[in-house]
Amino acid sequence: MTQPKRLSQEDERTLVLRLKARDEGALAELYDALAPWVLGLATRILRDDGEAEEVLGDVFVQVWGRIHQHEPTRGPLVPWVLSIARHRALDALRRRRRWWRKAERWGAAQRLEDNGAAAAPDPGEASVPGWPVHQEVHAALAALPGDQRRVVLLAYFEGLTHSEIARRTGQPLGTVKTRLRIAHGKLAEALRHVKDWMR
Amino acid sequence: MTDWLGMTPNPRDPRPELRARVLARAVRPGAGRRRWVWRAAAAVLVLVLGGGAAYWARDTIAALSAERDRLAAELAAVRDTLGFVRGPATRVVWVPVTTNGRLGAVTIFADSATRRWLVRCEGMAPNQPDETYQFWFVTAGGLKRAAVMTMDEDDATVMAMAFEVPADVGPVTGAAMSIEPRAAGGGGGGSGEPRGPMVFHLRL
Repeated sequence: MTQPKRLSQEDERTLVLRLKARDEGALAELYDALAPWVLGLATRILRDDGEAEEVLGDVFVQVWGRIHQHEPTRGPLVPWVLSIARHRALDALRRRRRWWRKAERWGAAQRLEDNGAAAAPDPGEASVPGWPVHQEVHAALAALPGDQRRVVLLAYFEGLTHSEIARRTGQPLGTVKTRLRIAHGKLAEALRHVKDWMR
Repeated sequence: MTDWLGMTPNPRDPRPELRARVLARAVRPGAGRRRWVWRAAAAVLVLVLGGGAAYWARDTIAALSAERDRLAAELAAVRDTLGFVRGPATRVVWVPVTTNGRLGAVTIFADSATRRWLVRCEGMAPNQPDETYQFWFVTAGGLKRAAVMTMDEDDATVMAMAFEVPADVGPVTGAAMSIEPRAAGGGGGGSGEPRGPMVFHLRL
């Protein structure tokens, strides 16, 4: 079994410096390590392979073009890249929602997954670098009560505002805000020790 | 710590051929800009084609409208003529004539109710360059000018003319046609009273 790739914070700093020095090899390394996660996140949000691949390309264009905006003191590289991926995917999702027919298909796909029929394939724990972090995030989410987990997922993966979540769940706005605040606190506590890029 | 939530979904291996494309697109200077240039060019092309199509459509519609108006006018004229010919007060007179040794005919439709006349000449000899045919109303006060009909060599052998009997002419009892001098410069010409040879003279 292949061991997950392990990169220390020192390695990550070096990689960022190489990217800022316009080292194309560094971008290729970043792609090899992060592309599966970016594509997984984009696919989870968009439920469309073609659009997710488009987002994947956009993300690495943006990373290469804006690497100088990344401040290591404000956070690690991986969440920064995934944040770009999330925003690009949500942008695409909002564009697509304006096209009602596609939105309808997306809803059908979501209903399918709600019934447990469309989960992304499990690639196996050792085949992709970063798998331990993936498991820890899952564990942290699973530890949340169901109502808190749901509001976190709606906010993160569907980009819904607090008001939209309140309408979607039928809960008062204040309740939604409280659940999100408590959930974020629990997640921050649970993932506080995740410092390395991938370990 | 929602930054790490992006690692919640299972990773998906991109298609192998995607790697080179994504990396090339990322490091190629102005790749994004070029895509927008292409999109802008496509938008301009669509605008140009759309404008051309709109111009063509407007042009075609204008031409078709003009053709429709022309056909409608022709149809109205035909209906008017048919109504005139079939009118209960319309008399039809057919007059055989000989002009310059050629046998022809003049057909007169005379509507006494509306005082409108339609005269059709067929098979008549062309006029000499200084002559013209002149049509006359026959009244109690003598012959009154009706119309001048000039037939040249290159004209069709059938000629028709419609006109109304002027109010000051009085009751019309017949019709006549003579050959009169043509006006200088090729205009209508004719005479105030018949002087040339008579083609026909009849009572209705």
